[in-house]
Amino acid sequence: MISRRIAEDTLRAALKKGGDFAELFLQDKRSTNLSLIDGHIDNAVTGRTHGAGIRVYNGLQSVYVHTNDTSPSGLIAAAGKAADAIGDKPNALDIRLVGSLGANVHAFRQLPMDVSGARRAELLRRADVAARSVSAEIQQVSCGVAMSDSEVLIANSEGLFTGDRRVYTRFRVSAIAVGGGENQTGSESPGALMGGELFETRVDVEQAAIQAGKRAVTMLKADPCPAGVMPVVIDGGFGGVIFHEACGHSLEAEAVAFGNSEFAGKLGQQIASPIVTAVDDGTLPNEWGSTNIDDEGNPTTRLVLIENGILKNYMVDRLNGRRMGLPSTGSGRRQDYTFAPTSRMRNTYIAAGTDDEAEIISSCPDGLYAKQMGGGSVNPVTGEFNFAVSEGYLIRNGKVDRPVRGAMLIGRGAEVLKKIDRVGRTMWMAQGMCGASSGSIPTNVGQPMIRVTGITVGGR
Amino acid sequence: MEYRQFIEALFQRAKAAGFTDCEAYYSAGESFSVKVFKGEILKYSASDELGLGFRGLYNGKMGYASTQILDEEAIDLLVEGAKSNAELIENDDPQPLYPGDSEYAKVDPWSDALNEITPAQKIELAKRLEALTLAQDERIDQLESCQVFSSVGETAIVNTLGLNVHSRGNVLGGFTMPTAKDGDQTGSGWSMFAAQQPEEINLESTAKEAADRAIASMLGESVPSGVSRVVLAPEAAADLLETFCGVFSADAAQRGLSLLNGREGEQIAASCVTLIDDPHRAGSVSSSAFDGEGVATKRHSVINSGKLTTLLYNLKTAAKQGVLSTGNATRSYNSSVGIAPFNFYFAPSALSEDALLAQLGDGLRITEVQGLHAGANPISGDFSLSAKGFQVVGGKQAQPVKQITIAGNFYQLLKDIEAVGGDLKFGMPGGSCFGSPSLLVSKLSIAGK
Repeated sequence: MISRRIAEDTLRAALKKGGDFAELFLQDKRSTNLSLIDGHIDNAVTGRTHGAGIRVYNGLQSVYVHTNDTSPSGLIAAAGKAADAIGDKPNALDIRLVGSLGANVHAFRQLPMDVSGARRAELLRRADVAARSVSAEIQQVSCGVAMSDSEVLIANSEGLFTGDRRVYTRFRVSAIAVGGGENQTGSESPGALMGGELFETRVDVEQAAIQAGKRAVTMLKADPCPAGVMPVVIDGGFGGVIFHEACGHSLEAEAVAFGNSEFAGKLGQQIASPIVTAVDDGTLPNEWGSTNIDDEGNPTTRLVLIENGILKNYMVDRLNGRRMGLPSTGSGRRQDYTFAPTSRMRNTYIAAGTDDEAEIISSCPDGLYAKQMGGGSVNPVTGEFNFAVSEGYLIRNGKVDRPVRGAMLIGRGAEVLKKIDRVGRTMWMAQGMCGASSGSIPTNVGQPMIRVTGITVGGR
Repeated sequence: MEYRQFIEALFQRAKAAGFTDCEAYYSAGESFSVKVFKGEILKYSASDELGLGFRGLYNGKMGYASTQILDEEAIDLLVEGAKSNAELIENDDPQPLYPGDSEYAKVDPWSDALNEITPAQKIELAKRLEALTLAQDERIDQLESCQVFSSVGETAIVNTLGLNVHSRGNVLGGFTMPTAKDGDQTGSGWSMFAAQQPEEINLESTAKEAADRAIASMLGESVPSGVSRVVLAPEAAADLLETFCGVFSADAAQRGLSLLNGREGEQIAASCVTLIDDPHRAGSVSSSAFDGEGVATKRHSVINSGKLTTLLYNLKTAAKQGVLSTGNATRSYNSSVGIAPFNFYFAPSALSEDALLAQLGDGLRITEVQGLHAGANPISGDFSLSAKGFQVVGGKQAQPVKQITIAGNFYQLLKDIEAVGGDLKFGMPGGSCFGSPSLLVSKLSIAGK
């Protein structure tokens, strides 16, 4: 995107008034979104995101400046703004960048610009028909295909000059069931770090649409969930959002470095039930949360967070790593060039265990079976989390009983981790967008079926 | 290229490519933020950003495309992108562009004095906010975050039918998130301010509110599950309104995504409820004289004494319904046209907070709800949310409460409002800004211990 020499000049300008580290992040991203509602293609938008972010450190202080102007003079001007903010000690550093482009682990075949509008429109029409085929109660279907192709260039004053290309494709469908003066909705949104081949290798849009439709119809007939403390069986896949919210965020260096986490200072300690092993892996080929390098230019890693209940690692970015005296784990991520990166999750999951899924339910005292989770949020300081159950059933006498809606699970991460008494054998993952201080980024959550002996369930 | 010049060249190229009517939506701005930790600058950022969205009618269909660079290559990408997007559209709804109104209200959410505050002064403000927060109570341990930010923005919409409108705005704000610790107990709280004039920067009350919340959060306990009468404090009520404001959108109604479809003129809320959208509210950076399509904005009562008087319309949904746009089109340079309110709030009464608590008698006062993006279903109106607050005994605020959920349904809640307080407060202004006084609600379900 720009020459090594211009990158060197920019970094030199960023450090001319002091500071001990500078970084340039340049991005050029093209995205295209097509959506359908009311049975018609309703919206087609293409866009180009283009700009650069410049970061300078002085010890533990950091300055971030971003701009759309990526001409040599624009970059130097932005670097000058960052330099002015960091200090007034003249500094002349010799910066020599060395190119290091690693291999691409995440093959893509059909680039967004090569997947015709007609082909994307046809996928949406098929999904619309499939969702409506579930029941006459499905009275509205909204679906879309979002594709993007982002090139990034990362250079820093330690000599790094590297880049990555990230191609994302995601399908989303929401079906709305109407009956008895009420509306209920069911959604699916599978995606991957790949191009249009997603629809040949991983995602059947009709099957996803039918699943969404069935969920909406089931929930239309569901009674409100009873409220109280009860055992909860959480199914695999998106159920992993419980770990993401209840523990994952509290293991990010952004929280830990400042002691703003209930897990700060607990490396090597038992923080979870001994049957729990949890991993954050940015290297899984073509997974939604993977990349070749993180947004600070470090190779991504497979990181064991918790092994048999013992806390092994935090997720660390460069700046918080300085504060903690720990090396980066390739976890520095950002939405785009308008955000400074920080430590974030990638593909985060509870690893497969040894319990039989049928036994997990049959041996469960009366409680809740959370088949599909919605999203949630957490306060890392106190560990207090909340997340919504989008498809839930009561468990009665060891069997899955009638559906219930509106269940919300709340609790504290540290408590819930210790109350996991079953971990199933089959782990799978699902896609989400995770929002935090460095913006909204693609992450996978995952787990096998697990059981928690008691959680406060909100309902009415 | 300068944006006016770019737009001129863009329209020429688009006309040559076969577009009939064309429009450009331009926005640009600068943002600043500083985060402090223990009296030192931790993070500092200063940035500029621009975007330009093009839309145009090609064979009667509207195509959209956007860019963040204004160069020769971008003109071709916009024209080609919008053309191929237009060819995909199957929707036959008319997509009118607007020639503009003869008169627009004078709305200028701009303050020169605010703009003259230097980065060094903003850093001082952030340090003072941190120090003030720490000084509120010895149990305030440290701050999870303490920031001061400012932004300056301008918007212009220009089209080939003669529309040519421009606006600008600026705001300076800050927030503080203290952590309270006492032995094993921890709690956290937050508070913010958003100022449109320098005299609205109130660090002391922001620090006090955040610290009070952190202490209450630390001392809070769960309560037994059951059904309770509840006073929703302004922040909690405004958060619920924001989450469910989509039900007032004519677009949602026409697509069967809102249960308010076809109910204009009906009683949908208790008679003490009036809901207003005021695009001209003074002191709000969300205010604007024109909407995302260039239509002159007006103040509307959406609910008047419990009766639904109008939904919120843009040009397309208004044409479909055979009514006039309410001037509630929203858009950004990289999105198509949607619908949103400007400053949306429940009208306050003359009732003091004490009088409202007295009327409650025994129950809960909910000060904060969490989990709105997942625990609220804008389609069904159902919500089940993590909450914090206080017990209310004999009309007086008592023991803090946490680790509970409140659950209900927004449509039902509108009917269950017994009384409205006089303590109207607005939240953080953005594209829209939401406000509410305290609301006394006859029943919500509580899950606790």
